[in-house]
Amino acid sequence: MRHAVVTRTAVAVLLGLAATAAEADVRFGALYPFSGQLALLGEESARGLEIAVDEINAAGGVQGEKVVLVRGDAVDNNQAIGEARRLISLERVAAIFGSYSSARSIAASQVAELSGVPYFELGAVADEVTGRGLKFLYRTNPTAEDMGKLAVEMIVGKVAAGLGKKPDELKIGIIYEDSSYGTSVAGHQKKFAAGAKLNVVTAQGYPAATLDMSSLVLDLKRRGVDVVLQTSYLNDSVLFLQQANEAGFKPGAIIGGGGGYSMQPTADAVGHGIIEGVLDTDFTQFLVNTRYTPGIEGFVDAYRKKYNGSPRSGHSLNNYVGAKIILQELNTVKGFTPDTITRAVKGIDVKPGVTAVGYGFKFGANNQNERAAMMGMQWQNGKLVTVYPDEAAVAPMQFRK
Amino acid sequence: MDILLQVLANGLMLGGLFAIVSVGLTLIFGIVKVVNFAHGEFLMLGMYGTYLVTTGLGLHPFVAVIAVVPALFVLGVLTQRLLIQPLMAAGDDHIQIFATVGLSTALINLALLAFGADIANTPPHGLRAPVVIGPVRVLAGQVVILAAAAVLVAGLQLFLSRTQTGRAIRAVAQNRAAAELMGIDVGRIYALTFGIGAACVGVAAVLVAPLYPTSPTSGTYFVLTAFVVVVLGGLGSIGGAFGGAILIGLIDSLAGFYVGSDLREVAVFGVFLLILILRPSGLFGARLTLAHVSP
Repeated sequence: MRHAVVTRTAVAVLLGLAATAAEADVRFGALYPFSGQLALLGEESARGLEIAVDEINAAGGVQGEKVVLVRGDAVDNNQAIGEARRLISLERVAAIFGSYSSARSIAASQVAELSGVPYFELGAVADEVTGRGLKFLYRTNPTAEDMGKLAVEMIVGKVAAGLGKKPDELKIGIIYEDSSYGTSVAGHQKKFAAGAKLNVVTAQGYPAATLDMSSLVLDLKRRGVDVVLQTSYLNDSVLFLQQANEAGFKPGAIIGGGGGYSMQPTADAVGHGIIEGVLDTDFTQFLVNTRYTPGIEGFVDAYRKKYNGSPRSGHSLNNYVGAKIILQELNTVKGFTPDTITRAVKGIDVKPGVTAVGYGFKFGANNQNERAAMMGMQWQNGKLVTVYPDEAAVAPMQFRK
Repeated sequence: MDILLQVLANGLMLGGLFAIVSVGLTLIFGIVKVVNFAHGEFLMLGMYGTYLVTTGLGLHPFVAVIAVVPALFVLGVLTQRLLIQPLMAAGDDHIQIFATVGLSTALINLALLAFGADIANTPPHGLRAPVVIGPVRVLAGQVVILAAAAVLVAGLQLFLSRTQTGRAIRAVAQNRAAAELMGIDVGRIYALTFGIGAACVGVAAVLVAPLYPTSPTSGTYFVLTAFVVVVLGGLGSIGGAFGGAILIGLIDSLAGFYVGSDLREVAVFGVFLLILILRPSGLFGARLTLAHVSP
């Protein structure tokens, strides 16, 4: 009998200790592909989130509590689901941040939705992420639709004039890798091009794991295409640019849709001379007007200090700003229940030009950040410099004479 | 007309690429009937080897053949001895499929760990230079690949038909038990065949690396087509595989231009299925009777 009382007291004390320990911290999930094929940019994305949390904690945490990140490895879609379950039921996170990959995000956010736990998507671009009417999913980053819109905007606003033609005189060729990424971006490009009355002469998909694009290059050349829009990964970006060059196909402009076009290895593989002048639409990158992206230098410094190297892509930056805006906003409410968190983020209202990514923040229909926007970059002298919009540009857009 | 010639030339070059990558597989899969799904990853490792030798020592990529080919020979022998040989005793060929798929996945992830997901670029040392013949433009490296594929195929054919070891390989392929009774060291022949097949992949890797970026998943781009080529040519026919490769290359190129790039795989695999329906033993294969193949 006495024994039982002692045990009960001990359990109660331990529970009490556990409760106080838990009260000192607030836990959030960091769900990204940390291993497997998507590991490189998954890890890069998570680094942005980690830097945001470091800065928040250095400034006193959220509602006076220290933020603790619990990692979940979404190596494939099934594991994304399993890890989301673990984060929610075992780790008891207040919300989940993620996830770089659209497929992982779509799978894991279903779990969060069913459990009523907020899920903040900071980097996946597919339409379906916010297109499913989920109540607890919020997305801060720009999407495939923004990418298609920007490409057409650049053609109408800058490229046509640069090539000395009217927009509707240009022959546009759209090519894309035929998984959901390329198909959805190309779909938006077609839609916005039709809206702007551009002349799209061909739109062709191809498998990303292709070994030869010479037929496609010949086809574009035969049609006299002036502007090529390509949405692609690394391998097919390299292949297209090389084979176009080797076949003597020199369109007035090539506009890439993120992916391979934003990556230094592509430029190094293709050759800086060949990629010179190639345009790209993507998340905010680092060679950008810092007056439009205040705080970007501080981010790069923090990144270098923490990870001993420069950021490998703009993914970390976009995750960093998205996470920081959300975590800061949680100071405006009390407690971390799903309802208080969603109430807080609905109040976010950040104008463009005041954050390190440039774009603003305000959640609109489907909980998508309606102020998110992509930027236009151009490869100049082996570097990807921002050329569009004007307020973010560090160099004028250049055209082959 | 000029465009048609260029499309045909592109197809021929693509066929050469398929041929060189498939040569090793005709031996391993076509002759001794071992299904090796890690074939593409052998190629990927060879390409990384070429990259390391070329960038590390600043040499012409072709010099890497001295290091890459023996390394892959050893890798092939080890794979056969440590993975395939124990499974052959199990008497069920399907197990080989699972084992080599496992090996393939393991090698891809090992490469991810060792080299990262980024691409590695072997400096081309002039192999990307265009060769202009009349209205047609191709790359110097592509011509080398086509020529090397033809030489390798002819060499292998001679080796199998004229040498004692070659005859022993064919004997083992036809009937393992009978070959053993004739005094052939079957275990050694299997290991040797696997080694030679992998060494051929090494040659392919050295030639392909300067033209294509290398990444851990590079092998997966080639492996399906390589199997198609071997089956299309007729299992066991080395010259047939070469013909199959050229045919696939031409169909791919023609369909890509005249039908549309989204339908080229439909065209390639449509023709593949059609040929198999009409000629189940492949284009150049002898009538396939499996009765003589020992279990």
